[in-house]
Amino acid sequence: MSAQPVVWVHADCLSPHGPALAAHPGAPAIFVWDDALLAEYRISLKRMVFIYECLLELPLTIRRGDVAEQLLAFAAAHGAASLVTTESPSPRFATICAHVAARLPLRVLPVEPFVEPPGRLDLGRFSRYWRAVEADALRPRRG
Amino acid sequence: MPSDMRRDFASRDDLIAYLAAEFPAAAAAGASVPETRGGRVAAARLLSSLDPRRYAASRNLLAGAVTRLSAYLRHGVLSLAEVRDAALRAVDRPDEAAKLISELAWRDYWQRVYATIGDEVWRDREPAKTGEPPHAYAAELPPEIAEGRTGLACMDAFSRQLVTTGYLHNHARMWLAAYIVHWRRVAWQAGARWFLQHLLDGDPASNNLSWQWVASTFSHKPYMFNRENLERFSEGVYCRGCPLRDSCPFDDSYEALSAQLFPRMEANPEPPRRRR
Repeated sequence: MSAQPVVWVHADCLSPHGPALAAHPGAPAIFVWDDALLAEYRISLKRMVFIYECLLELPLTIRRGDVAEQLLAFAAAHGAASLVTTESPSPRFATICAHVAARLPLRVLPVEPFVEPPGRLDLGRFSRYWRAVEADALRPRRG
Repeated sequence: MPSDMRRDFASRDDLIAYLAAEFPAAAAAGASVPETRGGRVAAARLLSSLDPRRYAASRNLLAGAVTRLSAYLRHGVLSLAEVRDAALRAVDRPDEAAKLISELAWRDYWQRVYATIGDEVWRDREPAKTGEPPHAYAAELPPEIAEGRTGLACMDAFSRQLVTTGYLHNHARMWLAAYIVHWRRVAWQAGARWFLQHLLDGDPASNNLSWQWVASTFSHKPYMFNRENLERFSEGVYCRGCPLRDSCPFDDSYEALSAQLFPRMEANPEPPRRRR
């Protein structure tokens, strides 16, 4: 078994500087077109071209099919002992993660936060959220 | 053995032809592909020309200095944090970037709600405030809207732009959504599904929750507009040549349109919101 993990890149984080790719430069990486999701949403060709052009700038293998199965097969082919990815709020992402994690150690890295509220946010309305985070959102960080 | 998809293409047309063959259902859902390029290189070019002051002054105009960053943000090619940081670097004082950053915050807000409610983004968050029950709204999008042949120059142009370019200005999204939900009494989910098929920035969180904001199932009152508002922010480009310019369904006061669209809405509501 290789100590190096494989990286799973998904369509919510297609930056070459995304947390998972940045944490493991040179590790085998993969993107999988989710055939079941595509059948459900019936997205048009232009959306797929846009995503594919993002993928072509990333150092990864592109496949399609059942995402969890493809990820496990890819990890096995590379003798990897774990899979690393970047977090997403999508419920589909959670389902895939649960499938993978049942068979292979999985690490989910956080994205750089837009704001870091000290406590629980009231998400009932945008106006309440914005009152709580505005000062933090407008605070210069770097550069 | 699983087989890899191709990475080497002679040209963009070659890539498009390959994807159309690999995913015939996507081509059937809409085969036109706009010039907009995916990827970090294209995103970085847009980011370098960010002008938060011009954005704040003109963002509600269809011809305004909008950023066109939404598709890159949706797919995480750029993070909200790095766009915020770039906006702050492009101004002298943080308040000059406040409008742009507050719009970035809408995406952060929708994402946080999505993390909490998941697939519930497809269901009414609250009862609609329009006075209409859920069954008053048709389940399917009328074909003449999707095909851009309602006869309304503005709505037909927005429909065609959505399908051919995968992009609509935020104000056009709001007008088109309000037309579909309130004037045509179509369930917001039908419009949301259509938008997700075509918008390059299509995201179940921002998209569906914004539709719910228009529909008033995630806001205190329905969003509506009138001809004066649309004509002003589109600078008259649609109304001038519209075959229905003398029988425009939007050509009235907010009060009269509200009474017509929401006859069963609770008496004496606050005036409907005009725009966010």
